[in-house]
Amino acid sequence: MIIVNYIASVVLVVLGLYVIMTKKHLIKIVLGMSIVDYGINLFIVSTGFNEGGTAPIYKMSEFFRGSFFVDPVPQALTLTSIVIGACVDAMALSLVVKLYKQYHTTNSDEIRRLRG
Amino acid sequence: MSYIHFPVIAVMTLFMGAFLTVVFGRKSKAVRNILALAASCTAFVLICCLIKPVLIDGEIISYWMGNWSPVEGYAIGIGYEIDQLGMFFALITVFTVLMSCIYSIRYMERDSALDFYNVLFLMLSGSVLGLVLTGDVFNMFIMIEIMTFTSVGLAAFRNNKAGSVEAGFKYLVIGSIGSSMTLFGVAILYGNCHTLNMAQLSSILAGKLTPSTLMAFALMFTGLAVKSYIVPFHTPAADAYTTAPASISMVFSGMVNKAGVYGMIRLVYIIFRAMDKSSVQLLMVIFGVVTMFVGVTMALAQHDFKRLLAFHSISQIGYVITAAGLGSALGLTAGLFHAMNHTLFKGLLFLCAGAVYYAAGTTNLDKLGGLSKKMPKTCICFLIGAFSISGLPPFNGFASKWLVYQAVYEKAVTSGNIFYAFATVAAVVVSVMTLASFIKVTQAVFFGQLPASLENVQEVPALMRLPMWIMSALCVLTGVFYDQVNKWLLAPAAGAALNVSGYIDRMMGEGYAAEAGVVNIPVFAARFSFWNPVVWLLLFIIVLAAFCLAIIGSSGDRASISSAPADAEDGKYATFFSGEKSMPSHVSGSDLFWGFKKNWKGYFKVMDGIHSGRVNDYALYVVCAAALITVFVFGFVR
Repeated sequence: MIIVNYIASVVLVVLGLYVIMTKKHLIKIVLGMSIVDYGINLFIVSTGFNEGGTAPIYKMSEFFRGSFFVDPVPQALTLTSIVIGACVDAMALSLVVKLYKQYHTTNSDEIRRLRG
Repeated sequence: MSYIHFPVIAVMTLFMGAFLTVVFGRKSKAVRNILALAASCTAFVLICCLIKPVLIDGEIISYWMGNWSPVEGYAIGIGYEIDQLGMFFALITVFTVLMSCIYSIRYMERDSALDFYNVLFLMLSGSVLGLVLTGDVFNMFIMIEIMTFTSVGLAAFRNNKAGSVEAGFKYLVIGSIGSSMTLFGVAILYGNCHTLNMAQLSSILAGKLTPSTLMAFALMFTGLAVKSYIVPFHTPAADAYTTAPASISMVFSGMVNKAGVYGMIRLVYIIFRAMDKSSVQLLMVIFGVVTMFVGVTMALAQHDFKRLLAFHSISQIGYVITAAGLGSALGLTAGLFHAMNHTLFKGLLFLCAGAVYYAAGTTNLDKLGGLSKKMPKTCICFLIGAFSISGLPPFNGFASKWLVYQAVYEKAVTSGNIFYAFATVAAVVVSVMTLASFIKVTQAVFFGQLPASLENVQEVPALMRLPMWIMSALCVLTGVFYDQVNKWLLAPAAGAALNVSGYIDRMMGEGYAAEAGVVNIPVFAARFSFWNPVVWLLLFIIVLAAFCLAIIGSSGDRASISSAPADAEDGKYATFFSGEKSMPSHVSGSDLFWGFKKNWKGYFKVMDGIHSGRVNDYALYVVCAAALITVFVFGFVR
């Protein structure tokens, strides 16, 4: 049921974007960013999935044309993307802490000294 | 053949410099500076060594990481591929890095935590260089992410200054939406083509625009447009350029911005080869024209030196996108030329702003004035930069802007589309407004009255002036010897973007492109009609119009001044000519265009509402623009 994965991933991305656009609390915005990331990760790992395929671990002697396994490249991409997403969250949260110390609020309506 | 390793070594040197700075640069200032300088010099030399094989002999270098070359026509490993287009942007990158590195040695000396500064700076440099040299879309995404992180760190570096953490946060939110969209596009492409290699993608995608590849195109286009900070994605860029140290603002506008532009050119010209479609051309030109216009009008309303330069930077990127979006050889040449010149003159202007900040301690235009007496050398550099960006001959801005007008006009004639005629007019008008705006800045910072608080200002140290002089010299040289620049740099780069089969063959093996049915587009040599008398007439009109704008701007205030005790006429002209204490002026130099702003009150009110400072609104613009691009792509790209 790979189509469910695709639909779920798009729903996650849209939800995440909705959170970023509408929520005023900075931590919620950061959470929205990570939800977008998770949706995309789900999408990438789904693109490499083959129904009934085995794990992509072979010796050269066992490997022949027609071996049926899931595509390993998207899994590598997803791992990379998860690590990057974790870095984004860590950095964004540390900036939120800094912002709270300077502005004494986490409301995005009040954090707008730079405008115009 | 040893030079095939140079690109990878250049990227690795910058990253290694960052890691070595973490280990050894903690304590000693000298070690830190030597490491940064050594890394950036090495990268500069290595990339310069590639000029002969790549740009002059026309060779395309391919390099498979770990020697994972393609198996049965499928690229498995990560490949680096350096064609003339990538080489052109790599030269811009390493030059900017070297200049910024030299400048920052003295400029940053009053800040603390400089080891982190150097780490972030070198990682940013390495990521941009990697981005322009890579031949793999996922690797490109990784480099974009590193670029975004380090940019955020550097934008928020002076976190004791008001607004810098805020700028960093906005940059991170908008930037990560952009990179997420790029990643989504990459994932869809992988699902369709089962490869991440640009050359192979290009040969597979030729003429096959299914709904899913169109979606990937729309998402990647949006993601890379966010990275080049064109309107409506420009809002975090204006903040970040303002709050970052000047040496970093220069890097942002000189190469981080260009990395996005490079990505867009790579995407539309090479990966999708969609530039022969008039709908894609229209999409890019619409974005370019809107960017030009919004950038320059926002710049007129600014009161901060660096924020004003930031909006000009956005506006100039509009020229690059407009010209590159025309899809013709002349247009691409013009776009690349303007991209290069933008790096030179905008970098120079940001360095001058940094010099003013270093010497006077502020970049607020209302508090500055009369610095030409105290900092004559900086003033000369600034004037060269200002003349270049406003497009006055013989500086480089004129040569490239003239080429942009020529290309857009040619497009208007050949396609018969009224929109391109409008775009030509818009390009000229924006140039006029740029000149008008720089009259204001020059007036507000370097001429006019010297405030009492700035009596003790000194000229900046020679090590800071050195990159400024180099860039000023290059501004003049590339303007005078534009045909040499075209011959050695622009023509090969534009040719590489338009003739894709060489790129594919070098990476995937001889004959691969022909098998996939790739057809080359013949390149016509771009002609410069530089010394044509009409040019000088046009220049005269531009200068006249700028002065008219300035006069209209200041004559609107006559009524309000007449009630003031001093003579109204003198008050008006004092703004332009006096530097004397006995003639106080009523309109401050930084507010030269308040009459103009008054007439356009409605427009500026809307613009002020748009740049609201709320991160939610900025995200909303990105998502709306992404939706619009998607609808446009699905509706019109065939």
